[in-house]
Amino acid sequence: MLVSDGSKDGSSGSSSLRSHPSDDGERARRRKKLTTLTRPWLLLAPALIVLIGLLLWPLIQVGKLSLQDYVVKFGGGKGTYTGFDNYTDLLTGDLLWKTVLPNTVFFAFACVGLTVALGTAVALLLNRLGPTWKLICSVSILAAWAMPAVTGTYVWIWLFSPEDGMVSQLADSMGLIDAETTNWFTERLPFYGIATINVVHHGFPFVAITVLAGLLTIPKELYEAGEIDGANAWQRFWKITVPTIKPVFLVVTILSTIWDFKVFTQIFLMPGGGGENPDVYNLGVYSYIEAFAKNDYGAGAAAAVLLTLLLLAITVVYIRTLFRQGEEDL
Amino acid sequence: MKRRVIAAGCIALTLGLTATACGGDDGGDGDSGGKADGKGKTLTVWIMEGTNPDPRPFFKEVGAAFEKKTGAKIKVEYQQWATAQKKFTTAIEGGEDQVPDVAEVGTTWVPQFAETDALVDVTDDVKKSGLANDLVEGLKDAGTLDGKQYGMPWYAGVRSIVYRKDIFEKHKLKPPTTWKELQATAKTLKEKEPDLIPFPVAGGAEMFATPFIWGAGGDLATQDGDKWKSAINSPQSIKGIEFYTGLATKDKVSPAKVNTWTEKEVGDAWNKSQIAMAIGGNWTPKAITDANPKLKGKLGAVPIPGQNGGMSKSFLGGSYLSAFNTDKKELAWELVKLMTTGEFAAKWAKQTNYFPGQNSELKKIEAQKDPLVEPFAKQMIEAGATVPKTKAYGEIQASKVVTGMVQSIITGKSSVKDAANKAAKDMDEIFAKDK
Repeated sequence: MLVSDGSKDGSSGSSSLRSHPSDDGERARRRKKLTTLTRPWLLLAPALIVLIGLLLWPLIQVGKLSLQDYVVKFGGGKGTYTGFDNYTDLLTGDLLWKTVLPNTVFFAFACVGLTVALGTAVALLLNRLGPTWKLICSVSILAAWAMPAVTGTYVWIWLFSPEDGMVSQLADSMGLIDAETTNWFTERLPFYGIATINVVHHGFPFVAITVLAGLLTIPKELYEAGEIDGANAWQRFWKITVPTIKPVFLVVTILSTIWDFKVFTQIFLMPGGGGENPDVYNLGVYSYIEAFAKNDYGAGAAAAVLLTLLLLAITVVYIRTLFRQGEEDL
Repeated sequence: MKRRVIAAGCIALTLGLTATACGGDDGGDGDSGGKADGKGKTLTVWIMEGTNPDPRPFFKEVGAAFEKKTGAKIKVEYQQWATAQKKFTTAIEGGEDQVPDVAEVGTTWVPQFAETDALVDVTDDVKKSGLANDLVEGLKDAGTLDGKQYGMPWYAGVRSIVYRKDIFEKHKLKPPTTWKELQATAKTLKEKEPDLIPFPVAGGAEMFATPFIWGAGGDLATQDGDKWKSAINSPQSIKGIEFYTGLATKDKVSPAKVNTWTEKEVGDAWNKSQIAMAIGGNWTPKAITDANPKLKGKLGAVPIPGQNGGMSKSFLGGSYLSAFNTDKKELAWELVKLMTTGEFAAKWAKQTNYFPGQNSELKKIEAQKDPLVEPFAKQMIEAGATVPKTKAYGEIQASKVVTGMVQSIITGKSSVKDAANKAAKDMDEIFAKDK
């Protein structure tokens, strides 16, 4: 009896339960309450276990490490707690405020802005193309996306490689630079210019595909109505497209921000980016150099924690905007 | 406990791992291990990839000889230079189960690994085996800390100057014997061969710069008791740095693209026949002619000249074979001895174009009078130098202090003096932290 009742509950929902108030019903209700309490957690459990194991646990370890002075020893290292020393060292240094943070922040914002703008433009283009060209364009932008960061970085390095690279020779033949005396990689601005091109090239396909998916959900009638009212393409984009798929823009912006703040490979592999030229440190590279070059694991961990907090703050702001947006729509 | 060990061993067996796992544990429990009785045991050996173009046949022979001698097998795992140091550090942190029994360890890593107690002190074994007096002094020194030697020198290399013999002959140039001549030769080359790089001042190559620091009588750092202090901004060091970077900034014998080059890019340029003269290792001529056969017979070598004649010291780098603190220490030492002496040491040196770590073997090579080998042998025996023997220097290298200094000078961002002072400050910070 009870068993079949229970199974019925599960399938028919709460309204049918309330219509049989009895002793059995009381027990069933309690069971139901228990199930409603535990079921979401049970369903979440696999994901949570993975997240705790792969994310939370390392995060706690890094947090602990950032408060220590850690020495590697045979069979297990030794950490001595030093309070917030690593953080005071990090936050009082000139390098962080004058080089590392500006590099990280300006680079990330430039990359996010350009990635989203270019991605949106490409999505609008794809939306207007016929099936054949759409396929050709999609495949070619997906190729840029599928290229591993390391490979892509080397291609850009080659293109800009001083004196011999294609871009250098082009610029030289147009009289913009003297190839023999120009090395793009030694100055902060051209260095990050090249890194920006590289990161945007690698990141815009994701934005394009996601925004395209959003564009496809916008009813055609809205545009027709707009056209009848005399709105031009520019106005239709800002008054119809952007407000309708604003959540999509928010999501791609958040994700791009997170990715572009923690860029490491693309910087580290560039000539001079692996530590020779402190002018081009970003937070990722700085943390790596501290932890794995200087073996100062505590200082490296502190820089990593700072990066995490920075990202967390940005994400919180974005998510709050996103939810506020959702409420307005209701 | 014992049951668990057996169970674990048998699980390993069923998983198709080494069939010796069970036997190995038994031997360990009984501690009956006589010196040469390695029956059923297997030594894990880490060897760096890339030194020997094809090391497999060599290690097959070593494995056979070692098994014949001790009954134990060896299992060689090849490691990449670029990532090995981190891999070692992780394994050391993991302890006895994760470190290899024997490994090739770069001489500059020895201080760091020894400090963690991971390496076996073999000073007495070396003395007992009568090997102590035959080791190349600079190399023996590189792996000896506080009088304790942590392994046996296996092979070594040194940088001198490699140049295009055909181009030099064409313009009647002689290999330089002083710094002035070096400068003048490079300038002539720039004029006569505008398509070639006369003398690359590679911003990312630390060991291109150090000969000039040492050659001017300067030093990277000096030791006082157990404290180290940077000397890279001493007047002599600055003079050396000034000359070296001046080749790029004043004499313009090194174009801007070289400012960010490492030794790898210099090698690539050699392979494209773009270089007239450059600092290069004893392994360089063969690497170049292998990749670019057109240059066969057109290369020459000469020791790095001293400021006013003689030789400037050059970094003597190499590898140790070291035993790690595992339960197979005695066997490990047998393998180290087998590989670093006599037949196998000579064979390895021959196959790799490096130099063996023993004077007796080195003399044999010098006696062959090969014009692309002799200058390097001379440099190694008479003018080899080591970097500061402390874990801190490994960290200084990894944080690119010297290359960062050179780069900031040749890109015109700072004066020689400012850059040297900054490098000295960076070094002292790392020295201070580690003591």
